[in-house]
Amino acid sequence: MTETMIHLSGVTRKFGSVKALDNIELQVQRGEVMGFLGPNGAGKTTTMRILAGLLAPTEGSVAVAGVDVLEDPVEARARIGFLPENPPIYGEMTVEEYLGYLASLRRVPKGQLGGAVDRAMERCGLTAVSNRLLRNLSKGYRQRAGIAQAIVHAPDVVILDEPTVGLDPIQIREIRELIRELGGEHSVLLSTHILPEVRMTCGRVAVIHQGRIVADDALENLEKRVHGSVAHFVRFGALPDADALRRVAGVAGVTAREDGWLITSAPASDPVPELLRLSVAQGWNLRELTPAGGNLEDIFLQLTTREEKENA
Amino acid sequence: MNAILTLAVREVRGMFHSPLAWTLLAVLFSICAYMFNASLLNYQIQMMEYQAYGMRGALPLTERTIAPMLGNAAVLLLLIMPLLSMRLIAEEKRQGTWPALASSPLSPMVIVLGKYLGLLFFIAIAIGVLAIIPLALYPYGNPDTGQFLAGVVGLFLTAAAFGSVGLAASSATENPNVAAVASFGVLLLLWIVSWMGNASGGTLDKALAYFSLMNHYQNFLTGLVSSADLVYFVLLSASGLLFARHRLLAERIQG
Repeated sequence: MTETMIHLSGVTRKFGSVKALDNIELQVQRGEVMGFLGPNGAGKTTTMRILAGLLAPTEGSVAVAGVDVLEDPVEARARIGFLPENPPIYGEMTVEEYLGYLASLRRVPKGQLGGAVDRAMERCGLTAVSNRLLRNLSKGYRQRAGIAQAIVHAPDVVILDEPTVGLDPIQIREIRELIRELGGEHSVLLSTHILPEVRMTCGRVAVIHQGRIVADDALENLEKRVHGSVAHFVRFGALPDADALRRVAGVAGVTAREDGWLITSAPASDPVPELLRLSVAQGWNLRELTPAGGNLEDIFLQLTTREEKENA
Repeated sequence: MNAILTLAVREVRGMFHSPLAWTLLAVLFSICAYMFNASLLNYQIQMMEYQAYGMRGALPLTERTIAPMLGNAAVLLLLIMPLLSMRLIAEEKRQGTWPALASSPLSPMVIVLGKYLGLLFFIAIAIGVLAIIPLALYPYGNPDTGQFLAGVVGLFLTAAAFGSVGLAASSATENPNVAAVASFGVLLLLWIVSWMGNASGGTLDKALAYFSLMNHYQNFLTGLVSSADLVYFVLLSASGLLFARHRLLAERIQG
Protein backbone atom coordinates (compact mmCIF):
# COMPACT_ATOMS: atom_id res chain seq x y z
CA MET A 1 0.00 0.00 0.00
CA THR A 2 1.34 3.39 -0.88
CA GLU A 3 0.86 6.46 1.18
CA THR A 4 1.28 9.91 -0.30
CA MET A 5 3.72 11.85 1.85
CA ILE A 6 4.08 14.96 -0.28
CA HIS A 7 1.07 16.19 -2.16
CA LEU A 8 1.15 19.43 -4.09
CA SER A 9 -1.95 20.14 -6.05
CA GLY A 10 -2.57 23.12 -8.30
CA VAL A 11 0.14 25.09 -6.54
CA THR A 12 0.79 28.52 -7.97
CA ARG A 13 3.10 31.04 -6.43
CA LYS A 14 3.43 34.61 -7.52
CA PHE A 15 6.05 37.14 -6.50
CA GLY A 16 4.38 40.40 -7.39
CA SER A 17 3.29 39.88 -10.97
CA VAL A 18 5.88 37.17 -11.67
CA LYS A 19 4.61 33.61 -11.60
CA ALA A 20 7.37 31.52 -10.05
CA LEU A 21 5.23 28.39 -9.95
CA ASP A 22 2.36 27.68 -12.26
CA ASN A 23 -0.16 25.02 -11.29
CA ILE A 24 2.31 22.47 -9.92
CA GLU A 25 1.17 18.90 -9.35
CA LEU A 26 3.56 16.66 -7.47
CA GLN A 27 3.23 13.56 -5.35
CA VAL A 28 5.85 11.62 -3.48
CA GLN A 29 5.02 8.30 -1.85
CA ARG A 30 6.31 6.94 1.43
CA GLY A 31 9.82 5.61 1.15
CA GLU A 32 10.40 7.14 -2.24
CA VAL A 33 13.39 9.26 -3.23
CA MET A 34 12.33 11.73 -5.84
CA GLY A 35 14.76 13.74 -7.91
CA PHE A 36 13.75 17.28 -8.62
CA LEU A 37 15.51 18.68 -11.65
CA GLY A 38 15.39 21.96 -13.40
CA PRO A 39 17.56 24.80 -14.61
CA ASN A 40 18.37 27.68 -12.28
CA GLY A 41 15.35 29.85 -11.63
CA ALA A 42 12.90 27.16 -12.71
CA GLY A 43 11.14 27.10 -9.35
CA LYS A 44 12.87 24.25 -7.50
CA THR A 45 13.78 26.31 -4.48
CA THR A 46 10.41 28.02 -4.36
CA THR A 47 8.66 24.65 -4.37
CA MET A 48 10.90 23.41 -1.59
CA ARG A 49 10.40 26.53 0.49
CA ILE A 50 6.66 26.11 0.17
CA LEU A 51 6.90 22.52 1.35
CA ALA A 52 9.12 23.52 4.25
CA GLY A 53 6.57 26.11 5.35
CA LEU A 54 8.74 29.13 4.63
CA LEU A 55 6.46 30.40 1.92
CA ALA A 56 2.74 30.15 1.42
CA PRO A 57 1.41 29.25 -2.03
CA THR A 58 -0.68 31.89 -3.75
CA GLU A 59 -3.11 29.19 -4.89
CA GLY A 60 -3.45 25.47 -4.52
CA SER A 61 -3.05 23.05 -1.65
CA VAL A 62 -0.03 21.42 -0.08
CA ALA A 63 -0.11 18.42 2.23
CA VAL A 64 2.78 16.80 4.05
CA ALA A 65 2.17 13.34 5.49
CA GLY A 66 -1.53 14.01 5.20
CA VAL A 67 -1.40 17.32 7.08
CA ASP A 68 -2.51 20.40 5.17
CA VAL A 69 0.29 22.96 5.29
CA LEU A 70 -2.06 25.92 5.13
CA GLU A 71 -4.59 24.69 7.68
CA ASP A 72 -2.14 23.39 10.23
CA PRO A 73 1.29 24.78 9.40
CA VAL A 74 2.91 23.90 12.73
CA GLU A 75 1.84 20.24 12.63
CA ALA A 76 2.94 19.95 9.01
CA ARG A 77 6.36 21.34 9.83
CA ALA A 78 6.73 18.78 12.61
CA ARG A 79 6.85 16.15 9.86
CA ILE A 80 9.48 17.85 7.76
CA GLY A 81 13.24 18.09 7.68
CA PHE A 82 14.62 20.75 5.40
CA LEU A 83 18.11 21.45 4.15
CA PRO A 84 18.12 24.81 2.35
CA GLU A 85 20.64 25.72 -0.33
CA ASN A 86 23.01 27.16 2.26
CA PRO A 87 23.22 24.94 5.34
CA PRO A 88 21.68 26.79 8.32
CA ILE A 89 24.72 26.76 10.59
CA TYR A 90 25.13 28.47 13.97
CA GLY A 91 28.88 29.08 13.96
CA GLU A 92 29.22 29.49 17.71
CA MET A 93 27.74 26.08 18.50
CA THR A 94 29.40 22.70 18.50
CA VAL A 95 27.94 20.06 16.20
CA GLU A 96 26.41 18.25 19.14
CA GLU A 97 24.87 21.40 20.69
CA TYR A 98 23.54 22.44 17.32
CA LEU A 99 21.77 19.16 16.62
CA GLY A 100 20.50 18.96 20.21
CA TYR A 101 19.11 22.48 20.00
CA LEU A 102 17.23 21.90 16.75
CA ALA A 103 16.07 18.44 17.82
CA SER A 104 14.51 19.82 20.97
CA LEU A 105 12.79 22.59 18.99
CA ARG A 106 11.41 19.82 16.80
CA ARG A 107 9.78 17.94 19.62
CA VAL A 108 12.28 15.17 20.21
CA PRO A 109 11.52 14.18 23.83
CA LYS A 110 14.21 15.11 26.32
CA GLY A 111 15.06 11.48 27.16
CA GLN A 112 15.67 10.62 23.50
CA LEU A 113 17.60 13.74 22.62
CA GLY A 114 21.07 12.28 23.08
CA GLY A 115 20.23 9.15 21.11
CA ALA A 116 18.70 11.09 18.23
CA VAL A 117 21.71 13.40 18.03
CA ASP A 118 24.19 10.51 18.15
CA ARG A 119 22.33 8.66 15.44
CA ALA A 120 22.17 11.67 13.14
CA MET A 121 25.88 12.36 13.67
CA GLU A 122 26.72 8.77 12.96
CA ARG A 123 24.68 8.62 9.79
CA CYS A 124 26.24 11.81 8.47
CA GLY A 125 29.78 10.97 9.54
CA LEU A 126 29.99 13.74 12.12
CA THR A 127 30.82 11.72 15.21
CA ALA A 128 34.52 12.56 15.01
CA VAL A 129 33.83 16.31 15.02
CA SER A 130 30.94 16.34 17.51
CA ASN A 131 32.74 18.76 19.86
CA ARG A 132 34.09 21.13 17.25
CA LEU A 133 32.57 24.55 16.68
CA LEU A 134 30.65 24.64 13.43
CA ARG A 135 32.40 27.82 12.34
CA ASN A 136 35.72 25.98 12.37
CA LEU A 137 34.53 23.11 10.20
CA SER A 138 35.11 22.77 6.48
CA LYS A 139 32.39 23.33 3.94
CA GLY A 140 31.88 19.60 3.56
CA TYR A 141 31.30 19.06 7.27
CA ARG A 142 28.96 22.03 7.47
CA GLN A 143 26.98 20.55 4.64
CA ARG A 144 26.80 17.26 6.52
CA ALA A 145 25.70 19.10 9.65
CA GLY A 146 22.98 20.69 7.51
CA ILE A 147 21.81 17.26 6.40
CA ALA A 148 22.03 15.96 9.96
CA GLN A 149 19.71 18.71 11.23
CA ALA A 150 17.21 17.77 8.53
CA ILE A 151 16.99 14.18 9.76
CA VAL A 152 17.73 14.47 13.48
CA HIS A 153 14.05 14.51 14.43
CA ALA A 154 13.24 11.55 12.14
CA PRO A 155 10.73 13.43 9.98
CA ASP A 156 8.44 11.66 7.54
CA VAL A 157 9.57 13.91 4.73
CA VAL A 158 13.11 15.11 4.04
CA ILE A 159 13.64 17.97 1.61
CA LEU A 160 17.19 18.49 0.39
CA ASP A 161 18.09 21.45 -1.77
CA GLU A 162 21.32 20.59 -3.58
CA PRO A 163 22.85 18.57 -0.75
CA THR A 164 26.14 17.62 -2.41
CA VAL A 165 27.27 21.08 -3.49
CA GLY A 166 30.73 21.87 -2.18
CA LEU A 167 31.64 18.34 -1.17
CA ASP A 168 34.65 16.38 -2.32
CA PRO A 169 34.12 13.20 -4.38
CA ILE A 170 34.42 10.85 -1.41
CA GLN A 171 31.95 12.86 0.64
CA ILE A 172 29.61 13.04 -2.33
CA ARG A 173 29.61 9.26 -2.54
CA GLU A 174 28.89 8.96 1.17
CA ILE A 175 26.09 11.49 1.05
CA ARG A 176 24.48 9.79 -1.95
CA GLU A 177 24.69 6.51 -0.09
CA LEU A 178 23.01 8.21 2.86
CA ILE A 179 20.26 9.69 0.69
CA ARG A 180 19.51 6.30 -0.80
CA GLU A 181 19.37 4.92 2.70
CA LEU A 182 16.99 7.67 3.80
CA GLY A 183 14.44 6.49 1.27
CA GLY A 184 12.66 3.57 2.78
CA GLU A 185 11.82 5.12 6.11
CA HIS A 186 11.62 8.73 4.96
CA SER A 187 10.31 10.21 1.76
CA VAL A 188 12.94 12.36 0.14
CA LEU A 189 12.62 15.19 -2.32
CA LEU A 190 16.06 15.98 -3.68
CA SER A 191 16.84 18.91 -5.90
CA THR A 192 20.06 18.87 -7.84
CA HIS A 193 21.88 19.99 -10.92
CA ILE A 194 24.06 16.93 -10.97
CA LEU A 195 22.37 14.43 -13.22
CA PRO A 196 24.38 11.32 -12.35
CA GLU A 197 23.33 11.96 -8.77
CA VAL A 198 19.73 11.49 -9.78
CA ARG A 199 20.56 8.25 -11.52
CA MET A 200 22.30 6.96 -8.42
CA THR A 201 19.78 7.97 -5.81
CA CYS A 202 16.34 8.53 -7.23
CA GLY A 203 13.62 6.17 -8.32
CA ARG A 204 11.54 8.86 -9.84
CA VAL A 205 12.26 12.23 -11.38
CA ALA A 206 10.26 15.39 -11.76
CA VAL A 207 11.57 18.03 -14.10
CA ILE A 208 10.48 21.60 -13.54
CA HIS A 209 10.93 24.31 -16.09
CA GLN A 210 9.71 27.89 -15.98
CA GLY A 211 7.50 27.13 -13.00
CA ARG A 212 5.81 24.10 -14.53
CA ILE A 213 6.38 20.39 -14.15
CA VAL A 214 7.34 19.22 -17.64
CA ALA A 215 7.99 15.59 -16.73
CA ASP A 216 7.25 13.33 -13.79
CA ASP A 217 8.04 9.67 -14.25
CA ALA A 218 10.31 6.78 -13.40
CA LEU A 219 13.77 7.29 -14.80
CA GLU A 220 13.58 4.40 -17.33
CA ASN A 221 10.26 5.61 -18.72
CA LEU A 222 11.60 9.09 -19.07
CA GLU A 223 14.57 7.86 -21.04
CA LYS A 224 12.38 5.82 -23.36
CA ARG A 225 9.99 8.67 -23.84
CA VAL A 226 12.64 11.14 -24.79
CA HIS A 227 14.64 9.03 -27.17
CA GLY A 228 11.98 6.75 -28.53
CA SER A 229 14.76 5.20 -30.54
CA VAL A 230 18.28 4.09 -29.71
CA ALA A 231 21.11 6.58 -29.93
CA HIS A 232 24.85 6.02 -30.07
CA PHE A 233 27.83 8.19 -29.59
CA VAL A 234 30.63 7.51 -32.09
CA ARG A 235 34.12 8.90 -32.50
CA PHE A 236 36.37 8.31 -35.50
CA GLY A 237 40.04 8.95 -36.11
CA ALA A 238 39.48 9.93 -39.72
CA LEU A 239 35.98 10.63 -40.92
CA PRO A 240 35.48 12.74 -44.07
CA ASP A 241 32.23 14.47 -43.00
CA ALA A 242 28.79 14.07 -41.44
CA ASP A 243 27.17 13.27 -44.75
CA ALA A 244 29.15 10.06 -44.93
CA LEU A 245 27.48 9.02 -41.66
CA ARG A 246 24.02 10.07 -42.78
CA ARG A 247 24.31 7.79 -45.82
CA VAL A 248 24.82 4.73 -43.59
CA ALA A 249 21.75 2.50 -43.74
CA GLY A 250 19.56 2.75 -40.62
CA VAL A 251 20.82 6.14 -39.46
CA ALA A 252 18.03 8.65 -38.89
CA GLY A 253 19.95 11.66 -37.61
CA VAL A 254 23.47 12.88 -36.94
CA THR A 255 24.37 15.56 -34.45
CA ALA A 256 27.85 16.94 -33.92
CA ARG A 257 29.20 16.53 -30.39
CA GLU A 258 32.48 17.46 -28.83
CA ASP A 259 35.00 15.38 -30.85
CA GLY A 260 32.36 12.96 -32.08
CA TRP A 261 28.85 12.40 -33.38
CA LEU A 262 25.55 11.40 -31.86
CA ILE A 263 23.64 9.19 -34.25
CA THR A 264 20.03 8.20 -33.76
CA SER A 265 18.69 5.10 -35.42
CA ALA A 266 15.69 4.92 -37.66
CA PRO A 267 12.79 3.01 -36.05
CA ALA A 268 13.26 -0.76 -35.94
CA SER A 269 16.68 -0.75 -37.48
CA ASP A 270 20.20 -1.18 -36.19
CA PRO A 271 22.88 0.82 -38.02
CA VAL A 272 25.75 -0.48 -35.85
CA PRO A 273 26.89 -3.51 -37.95
CA GLU A 274 26.85 -1.46 -41.13
CA LEU A 275 28.69 1.33 -39.36
CA LEU A 276 31.43 -1.05 -38.22
CA ARG A 277 31.75 -2.56 -41.66
CA LEU A 278 32.06 0.81 -43.36
CA SER A 279 34.51 2.06 -40.79
CA VAL A 280 36.85 -0.83 -41.54
CA ALA A 281 36.27 -0.75 -45.30
CA GLN A 282 36.74 3.01 -45.68
CA GLY A 283 39.41 3.43 -43.04
CA TRP A 284 37.46 5.81 -40.75
CA ASN A 285 39.41 4.54 -37.74
CA LEU A 286 36.63 3.94 -35.20
CA ARG A 287 37.78 4.99 -31.72
CA GLU A 288 34.63 4.90 -29.64
CA LEU A 289 31.11 3.58 -29.90
CA THR A 290 28.82 3.93 -26.87
CA PRO A 291 25.08 3.67 -26.43
CA ALA A 292 23.90 7.18 -25.55
CA GLY A 293 20.36 6.27 -24.61
CA GLY A 294 20.85 6.72 -20.88
CA ASN A 295 22.23 10.20 -21.03
CA LEU A 296 20.35 12.24 -18.49
CA GLU A 297 21.79 15.46 -19.85
CA ASP A 298 20.05 14.73 -23.11
CA ILE A 299 16.76 14.02 -21.42
CA PHE A 300 17.04 17.16 -19.43
CA LEU A 301 18.01 19.35 -22.33
CA GLN A 302 15.37 17.89 -24.56
CA LEU A 303 12.61 18.36 -21.99
CA THR A 304 13.52 21.90 -21.14
CA THR A 305 14.26 23.09 -24.65
CA ARG A 306 11.20 21.43 -26.14
CA GLU A 307 9.18 23.52 -23.75
CA GLU A 308 10.80 26.65 -25.05
CA LYS A 309 10.01 25.70 -28.63
CA GLU A 310 6.40 25.16 -27.71
CA ASN A 311 6.26 28.52 -26.02
CA ALA A 312 7.86 30.30 -28.94
CA MET B 1 6.25 26.53 26.28
CA ASN B 2 9.27 24.24 26.18
CA ALA B 3 10.19 25.56 22.78
CA ILE B 4 9.99 29.15 24.05
CA LEU B 5 12.42 28.31 26.86
CA THR B 6 14.76 26.45 24.52
CA LEU B 7 14.84 29.47 22.20
CA ALA B 8 15.34 31.86 25.12
CA VAL B 9 18.20 29.89 26.66
CA ARG B 10 19.96 29.63 23.34
CA GLU B 11 19.48 33.37 22.77
CA VAL B 12 21.09 34.26 26.12
CA ARG B 13 23.96 31.88 25.52
CA GLY B 14 24.42 33.31 22.05
CA MET B 15 24.61 36.83 23.52
CA PHE B 16 27.25 35.85 26.02
CA HIS B 17 29.22 34.14 23.28
CA SER B 18 29.47 37.45 21.47
CA PRO B 19 31.83 40.21 22.57
CA LEU B 20 29.09 42.73 21.81
CA ALA B 21 26.99 41.83 24.85
CA TRP B 22 29.99 41.88 27.20
CA THR B 23 31.13 45.23 25.83
CA LEU B 24 27.68 46.74 26.20
CA LEU B 25 27.44 45.47 29.78
CA ALA B 26 30.87 46.86 30.60
CA VAL B 27 30.05 50.26 29.11
CA LEU B 28 26.68 50.39 30.86
CA PHE B 29 28.16 49.47 34.21
CA SER B 30 31.17 51.81 34.07
CA ILE B 31 29.25 54.84 32.91
CA CYS B 32 26.50 54.31 35.46
CA ALA B 33 29.07 53.87 38.21
CA TYR B 34 30.79 57.06 37.11
CA MET B 35 27.53 59.00 37.06
CA PHE B 36 26.57 57.62 40.43
CA ASN B 37 29.84 58.78 41.92
CA ALA B 38 29.41 62.20 40.36
CA SER B 39 25.93 62.60 41.79
CA LEU B 40 27.18 61.42 45.15
CA LEU B 41 29.90 64.09 45.19
CA ASN B 42 27.34 66.66 44.11
CA TYR B 43 25.08 65.57 46.92
CA GLN B 44 27.93 65.99 49.38
CA ILE B 45 28.60 69.54 48.23
CA GLN B 46 24.93 70.43 48.27
CA MET B 47 24.58 69.01 51.76
CA MET B 48 27.47 71.18 52.98
CA GLU B 49 25.91 74.28 51.42
CA TYR B 50 22.54 73.32 52.86
CA GLN B 51 23.95 72.93 56.33
CA ALA B 52 26.05 76.09 55.99
CA TYR B 53 22.77 78.03 55.81
CA GLY B 54 21.96 76.52 59.15
CA MET B 55 19.20 74.24 57.87
CA ARG B 56 18.42 71.15 59.86
CA GLY B 57 17.89 67.65 58.51
CA ALA B 58 19.13 66.33 55.17
CA LEU B 59 18.39 66.61 51.46
CA PRO B 60 16.57 63.56 50.05
CA LEU B 61 19.37 61.09 49.38
CA THR B 62 17.64 58.64 47.04
CA GLU B 63 16.14 61.34 44.87
CA ARG B 64 19.51 63.01 44.36
CA THR B 65 21.73 59.99 43.85
CA ILE B 66 19.91 56.78 42.90
CA ALA B 67 17.12 58.34 40.84
CA PRO B 68 19.46 60.35 38.59
CA MET B 69 21.61 57.30 38.02
CA LEU B 70 18.63 55.16 37.06
CA GLY B 71 17.30 57.99 34.89
CA ASN B 72 20.58 58.19 33.03
CA ALA B 73 20.78 54.41 32.80
CA ALA B 74 17.51 54.50 30.83
CA VAL B 75 19.04 56.96 28.36
CA LEU B 76 22.06 54.68 28.02
CA LEU B 77 19.78 51.72 27.45
CA LEU B 78 18.03 53.75 24.78
CA LEU B 79 21.34 53.63 22.93
CA ILE B 80 22.28 50.09 23.89
CA MET B 81 19.06 48.14 23.46
CA PRO B 82 18.82 48.69 19.69
CA LEU B 83 22.31 47.19 19.40
CA LEU B 84 21.35 44.19 21.51
CA SER B 85 18.01 43.55 19.86
CA MET B 86 19.02 44.23 16.27
CA ARG B 87 20.35 40.72 15.77
CA LEU B 88 17.44 38.77 17.25
CA ILE B 89 15.77 37.90 13.95
CA ALA B 90 17.64 39.88 11.28
CA GLU B 91 20.90 38.09 12.04
CA GLU B 92 19.29 34.67 11.61
CA LYS B 93 18.11 35.73 8.19
CA ARG B 94 21.44 37.18 7.22
CA GLN B 95 23.38 34.16 8.42
CA GLY B 96 20.99 31.81 6.64
CA THR B 97 19.96 30.03 9.84
CA TRP B 98 16.42 31.33 9.63
CA PRO B 99 15.14 28.41 7.49
CA ALA B 100 16.11 25.99 10.27
CA LEU B 101 13.84 27.86 12.67
CA ALA B 102 11.10 28.65 10.19
CA SER B 103 10.83 25.02 9.06
CA SER B 104 10.60 23.81 12.68
CA PRO B 105 7.18 23.22 14.22
CA LEU B 106 7.08 26.65 15.86
CA SER B 107 4.45 29.28 15.31
CA PRO B 108 5.75 32.79 14.65
CA MET B 109 4.45 33.83 18.09
CA VAL B 110 6.53 31.11 19.77
CA ILE B 111 9.65 32.27 17.94
CA VAL B 112 8.96 35.90 18.86
CA LEU B 113 8.27 35.06 22.52
CA GLY B 114 11.34 32.84 22.77
CA LYS B 115 13.59 35.55 21.39
CA TYR B 116 11.98 38.17 23.61
CA LEU B 117 12.23 36.06 26.74
CA GLY B 118 15.93 35.58 26.02
CA LEU B 119 16.34 39.33 25.72
CA LEU B 120 14.45 39.84 29.01
CA PHE B 121 16.87 37.44 30.74
CA PHE B 122 19.73 39.53 29.50
CA ILE B 123 18.06 42.79 30.56
CA ALA B 124 17.42 41.33 34.01
CA ILE B 125 21.08 40.44 34.33
CA ALA B 126 22.18 43.91 33.17
CA ILE B 127 19.83 45.71 35.54
CA GLY B 128 20.67 43.32 38.36
CA VAL B 129 24.30 44.31 37.93
CA LEU B 130 23.40 48.01 37.85
CA ALA B 131 21.35 47.69 41.00
CA ILE B 132 24.47 46.66 42.90
CA ILE B 133 25.96 50.15 42.59
CA PRO B 134 23.51 52.00 44.90
CA LEU B 135 23.89 49.30 47.56
CA ALA B 136 27.09 51.14 48.46
CA LEU B 137 24.89 53.78 50.13
CA TYR B 138 23.40 51.43 52.69
CA PRO B 139 26.35 51.22 55.14
CA TYR B 140 26.60 55.04 55.30
CA GLY B 141 23.16 56.44 54.73
CA ASN B 142 19.52 55.66 54.77
CA PRO B 143 18.28 55.39 51.19
CA ASP B 144 14.58 54.97 50.47
CA THR B 145 14.41 51.28 49.53
CA GLY B 146 10.86 51.59 48.15
CA GLN B 147 11.83 54.36 45.78
CA PHE B 148 15.00 52.49 44.81
CA LEU B 149 13.06 49.31 43.98
CA ALA B 150 10.35 51.21 42.12
CA GLY B 151 13.09 52.79 40.04
CA VAL B 152 14.64 49.39 39.28
CA VAL B 153 11.27 47.96 38.27
CA GLY B 154 10.66 51.02 36.09
CA LEU B 155 14.05 50.62 34.46
CA PHE B 156 13.35 46.96 33.73
CA LEU B 157 9.97 47.78 32.17
CA THR B 158 11.50 50.59 30.14
CA ALA B 159 14.28 48.35 28.87
CA ALA B 160 11.74 45.61 28.13
CA ALA B 161 9.71 48.06 26.05
CA PHE B 162 12.89 49.17 24.25
CA GLY B 163 13.64 45.53 23.54
CA SER B 164 10.22 44.82 22.13
CA VAL B 165 10.49 47.76 19.74
CA GLY B 166 13.95 46.49 18.78
CA LEU B 167 12.60 43.00 18.17
CA ALA B 168 9.90 44.46 15.94
CA ALA B 169 12.53 46.32 13.94
CA SER B 170 14.68 43.20 13.74
CA SER B 171 11.79 41.20 12.31
CA ALA B 172 11.25 43.70 9.52
CA THR B 173 14.68 43.56 7.88
CA GLU B 174 17.53 41.21 7.06
CA ASN B 175 20.09 43.83 7.98
CA PRO B 176 20.79 44.18 11.72
CA ASN B 177 22.21 47.67 11.23
CA VAL B 178 19.00 48.87 9.66
CA ALA B 179 17.09 47.30 12.55
CA ALA B 180 19.28 49.14 15.07
CA VAL B 181 18.85 52.52 13.41
CA ALA B 182 15.11 52.06 12.97
CA SER B 183 14.49 51.00 16.55
CA PHE B 184 16.73 53.78 17.87
CA GLY B 185 14.71 56.30 15.88
CA VAL B 186 11.39 55.01 17.14
CA LEU B 187 12.60 54.83 20.74
CA LEU B 188 14.08 58.31 20.73
CA LEU B 189 10.87 59.68 19.29
CA LEU B 190 8.85 57.90 21.98
CA TRP B 191 11.23 59.26 24.59
CA ILE B 192 10.88 62.90 23.56
CA VAL B 193 7.42 62.85 22.00
CA SER B 194 5.97 65.07 24.72
CA TRP B 195 8.30 67.94 23.86
CA MET B 196 5.86 69.18 21.23
CA GLY B 197 2.93 68.72 23.56
CA ASN B 198 4.22 71.14 26.13
CA ALA B 199 3.58 74.04 23.81
CA SER B 200 0.16 73.16 22.43
CA GLY B 201 -1.95 72.29 25.47
CA GLY B 202 -5.32 70.55 25.34
CA THR B 203 -6.06 67.00 24.15
CA LEU B 204 -3.05 66.70 21.90
CA ASP B 205 -0.85 67.74 24.79
CA LYS B 206 -2.32 65.00 26.94
CA ALA B 207 -2.07 62.40 24.19
CA LEU B 208 1.56 63.18 23.47
CA ALA B 209 2.32 63.18 27.17
CA TYR B 210 0.70 59.78 27.46
CA PHE B 211 2.79 58.32 24.67
CA SER B 212 6.02 59.65 26.11
CA LEU B 213 8.12 56.84 27.54
CA MET B 214 10.03 59.30 29.65
CA ASN B 215 6.94 60.57 31.48
CA HIS B 216 5.92 57.08 32.55
CA TYR B 217 9.41 56.19 33.63
CA GLN B 218 9.72 59.42 35.65
CA ASN B 219 6.84 58.29 37.83
CA PHE B 220 8.72 55.13 38.77
CA LEU B 221 11.80 57.17 39.63
CA THR B 222 9.82 59.24 42.12
CA GLY B 223 8.76 55.96 43.71
CA LEU B 224 5.27 55.97 42.23
CA VAL B 225 4.16 52.63 40.81
CA SER B 226 0.76 53.20 39.21
CA SER B 227 -1.31 50.81 37.20
CA ALA B 228 -1.61 53.39 34.40
CA ASP B 229 2.15 53.30 33.89
CA LEU B 230 2.25 49.51 34.13
CA VAL B 231 -0.47 49.25 31.50
CA TYR B 232 1.45 51.62 29.25
CA PHE B 233 4.58 49.50 29.36
CA VAL B 234 2.71 46.24 28.89
CA LEU B 235 0.82 47.70 25.91
CA LEU B 236 3.96 49.08 24.32
CA SER B 237 5.83 45.79 24.72
CA ALA B 238 2.89 43.77 23.46
CA SER B 239 2.53 45.93 20.36
CA GLY B 240 6.18 45.37 19.49
CA LEU B 241 5.76 41.61 19.82
CA LEU B 242 2.55 41.56 17.82
CA PHE B 243 4.16 43.62 15.10
CA ALA B 244 7.04 41.12 14.88
CA ARG B 245 4.63 38.19 14.74
CA HIS B 246 2.67 39.91 12.01
CA ARG B 247 5.84 40.52 10.01
CA LEU B 248 6.84 36.86 10.22
CA LEU B 249 3.41 35.73 9.09
CA ALA B 250 3.31 38.25 6.27
CA GLU B 251 6.74 37.14 5.12
CA ARG B 252 5.43 33.70 4.25
CA ILE B 253 2.82 35.29 2.06
CA GLN B 254 4.90 38.05 0.49
CA GLY B 255 8.15 36.08 0.22
